[in-house]
Amino acid sequence: MTDPRPATREPRTGKWVGRAMRRREDPRFLAGAARYIDDLKLSGALHAAVLRSPHAHARILSVDVSAAAALPGVHAVLTGDDARRLSSPMKPIIPIPIDPQNYCLATDTVRYMGEPVAAVAAVTRAVAEDALDRIAVAYEPLEPVVDPEEALRPGAPLLYPELGHNVVWHDAFTYGDVEGAFAGADLVVSERFTIHRYSSTPLETFGVMAQEDRGTGVMTIWSNDGRPGLTSGTVAAALGISQGSLHLIAPEVGGGFGNKRRAAYLILAALLARRAGHPVKFVEDRREHLMALMHAANGVMTAEAAVRRDGTVLALRVRDVVDEGNNLVNPTLHSLLKLGNIVNAYGIRAVAFEGFCVLTTKCPSGANRGIGKPFMCFAIERVMDRVAERLGMDRIALRRHNLIPAGAFPYETPTGALYDSGDFGKTLDLALARAGYDDLCARRDAARGEGRCVGVALAMAVEPGTSNLSSYILTTGRKITSGAGEAAMVRVEPDGRVRVATGNVGSGQSYETVIPQVVADELGVPPETVSAAPGFDSFSHPWMFASGNYSNKFSGMDIGAIVGAARKVRAKVLTIAAHLLEVPEEMLELAGGAVAVRGDPRRSLTLAQVADVAYKNLVALPGGSEPGLEARHYYLSPMATNPDAQRRIRAQLIFTNSAHVAMVEVDPETGGVTIQKYVVVHDCGTEINPLVVEGLVHGSTVHGIGGALLEEFVYDGRGQLLTTSFMDYLKPSAADMPDIEVDHLETPSPFTVLGAKGVGEGGSIPALACLAGAIEDALGPLGVRVNDLPLTPRRIWEMIQAARLASR
Amino acid sequence: MRRAIRLTVNGRAVTGEVEPRRNLADFLREDLDLTGTHVGCEHGVCGACTVLLAGEPVRACLLLAVQADGAQVTTIEGLAPPEGGLHPVQEAFWDRHALQCGFCTPGMVLTAAALLRRNPRPTEAEIRVELSGNLCMCTGYINIIRAVRLAAERLAAAAQQVPGSQFAVPGPVSGTGHGPARIPESGSSHD
Repeated sequence: MTDPRPATREPRTGKWVGRAMRRREDPRFLAGAARYIDDLKLSGALHAAVLRSPHAHARILSVDVSAAAALPGVHAVLTGDDARRLSSPMKPIIPIPIDPQNYCLATDTVRYMGEPVAAVAAVTRAVAEDALDRIAVAYEPLEPVVDPEEALRPGAPLLYPELGHNVVWHDAFTYGDVEGAFAGADLVVSERFTIHRYSSTPLETFGVMAQEDRGTGVMTIWSNDGRPGLTSGTVAAALGISQGSLHLIAPEVGGGFGNKRRAAYLILAALLARRAGHPVKFVEDRREHLMALMHAANGVMTAEAAVRRDGTVLALRVRDVVDEGNNLVNPTLHSLLKLGNIVNAYGIRAVAFEGFCVLTTKCPSGANRGIGKPFMCFAIERVMDRVAERLGMDRIALRRHNLIPAGAFPYETPTGALYDSGDFGKTLDLALARAGYDDLCARRDAARGEGRCVGVALAMAVEPGTSNLSSYILTTGRKITSGAGEAAMVRVEPDGRVRVATGNVGSGQSYETVIPQVVADELGVPPETVSAAPGFDSFSHPWMFASGNYSNKFSGMDIGAIVGAARKVRAKVLTIAAHLLEVPEEMLELAGGAVAVRGDPRRSLTLAQVADVAYKNLVALPGGSEPGLEARHYYLSPMATNPDAQRRIRAQLIFTNSAHVAMVEVDPETGGVTIQKYVVVHDCGTEINPLVVEGLVHGSTVHGIGGALLEEFVYDGRGQLLTTSFMDYLKPSAADMPDIEVDHLETPSPFTVLGAKGVGEGGSIPALACLAGAIEDALGPLGVRVNDLPLTPRRIWEMIQAARLASR
Repeated sequence: MRRAIRLTVNGRAVTGEVEPRRNLADFLREDLDLTGTHVGCEHGVCGACTVLLAGEPVRACLLLAVQADGAQVTTIEGLAPPEGGLHPVQEAFWDRHALQCGFCTPGMVLTAAALLRRNPRPTEAEIRVELSGNLCMCTGYINIIRAVRLAAERLAAAAQQVPGSQFAVPGPVSGTGHGPARIPESGSSHD
């Protein structure tokens, strides 16, 4: 076991940012006193249960709820017809070519197993589930379409016949001289890759509780939804109320990873609450979560590389098919993030990208830690290994040759990403040194001599942060959303303590610890006097459309907003104090919770004394000065531009980078993989709190390892999901996860206020590529090539058998 | 149809009238408002609902409340010493950053506390096996394993000072969480 990270990394003198502080929020979680959505109780609250489609694709002929409604304890029943009558259809985030009339319950057709068909609110969840058994639904089964390439073929079953096909988006892009590069290449490598469906499955499922105030008309919805800025508009429009009458509150959130956003459940609970005249709570059970919340998209990618004899990768030609399932909310998300980051860490100068987003009769695809980039990284790193093999070059040397050089930053990739900073070569070298790469290779060779299957690999990755909503302009052609940012409020309370609120909804990222560190530096106060509000409240926190918990955006966007608000407050403190102390502002300094005259510390005011005047002794304020000591700041990233005329996009704005090294042993008889060594070196710029950063690196890497080796949503040919519990959808456990050695570089971003970069998605991106490389290295002597994920024991065993058969 | 049950929860005698199908997790959470017991899967895999029954970890989602009639149950709310502060396992989880979203934490802490009571000096392999029935989606487990080792070291040190009180709860460990993280001095073995 590696040692914990030392706490005493050199902090900047007198600064709180950079210190490995223990978390402020921990005691209540440790004591079991934190209140998550299912812990909230309202007098008279009812519990909802949802009837779901057993079919992947079927027409709903009739729904009879009379027996359910008659069950004692049942207060309200809702069907798709009710939803159509009582609400407006949800608008997709991006315009799509059809108007699918998407409600919180299926109306005429179900398009995936688990799609909500009807709902009941009753005195207990058990009674509500009893009532579901009494609902009679007549279905006319339709042909499912499960495989995205099948769904592309003419004659495939159609999810939306009015669309005429299953392709919700298709486009092709060319950047640079791709044709010329392929024509002049010494070598062309062409590979086909696939990735499966998996998900980060937060331990707390999605949940919601709705209560309508009949007097004011305000609908209050508590939910662990991670995108309140986006959800608010969707839900208010569906319910026919103003966003000012929709009070969204997020309590503690038990993990998110992008999964927790489903406006339909908020609408469903609100409609039931209205109908019943009581508060209604709905919390998914695990089966519902696994089959119907959202999955990271599976997909198929062909990638061709044009290569010069010296190993230079000149161009990439990519054809990417994303299986969206029945996702009409935010299709193209995976495609855009792959397109925007497709060259990974390499100086490839020409790219052709053709993307398809295809509908299938499966659970909607959606945001999951890393979105699309695990597949991007897997494909590009596999290509790098193949190029090295074909040229007879060392895998590391080939990568080093192609890395974007340290002197090239800020570096614009052909597809338009502007990589902010980094030294990829240094990251690579440190990873090799930390792993003892040469020694690992020697051990591998020795093991091979004993007939064992041991492999070593390295993967490089960019780990981008902050999604730029302008990307959607590329897929929709309409400038209706754009930019990236967040909103924050900083308020010095009358007693001098500081309170911060943002539009983000923490779900374990330690905001209550790191926000005080940031604000303490700005206001010159001890961090224990600063508190960051947990959760979210749309009536008191500042927020905008972009607000929420996604895309590694905290380090850039949230900190931009928090620092912006803190600096406004700081300016006001100085103005008031200068007036009260009768000195020019320039003579004042803020430190230790007080404003003092520089060189004359006896002439000082505590922050509490300044606040006391600001809120209470208003005539004492300088003339023209607004009372109060509070500021809001809406931060817009200066980097978030719209696509240019060449259709180059800044899909993401801030770029952490990393190198992963793994050594694995594969048991060829069982296909089981043992990770013998795992090393991560990453560079996320300024680290606000190294303890927190390391925790996120561990957790994100294990997400990637789970996605590579264990987890898979398996559908059969009829669209039936076979993995609906944690007994068949396997998660990593303490017994099978490796120790992960982590080392850090710190190249600040010039594009963020404190130089910090995103760290939350982190290891979930390169881990799949790294393990695939190591397993291929282990099984290389058997002739196995790894182009497909996941690498479960069964699949590895099958690959070994296939290779053995082929070699006979 | 309801049945009367009588049990001891966190040292307090409690009674309830429950449907036979009500599981222990729902009884604790809904009837006793002990919401520190979390429900993550309701099929016995994730371990979030772990409570101690006569000192041993059990899944509260797989046990019916009527089966707990007459039992001694400890939930996360009953782990810390009644006079305040944290249990050494909780303290070590804090020091080692062994939680992020906190949803698995009550079950994880109770499982670890039961392990250390049974086996005060577990090896890393033993800790891993013992915790393998509790899923954590955030931490990657590394800091949790470190925390359990740290708790074991501290408990062993405390037991040496007060022989025979191997699982006595030492006083709250210093450090407020408001200063730089307090990492034990070198010499406390985390190999």
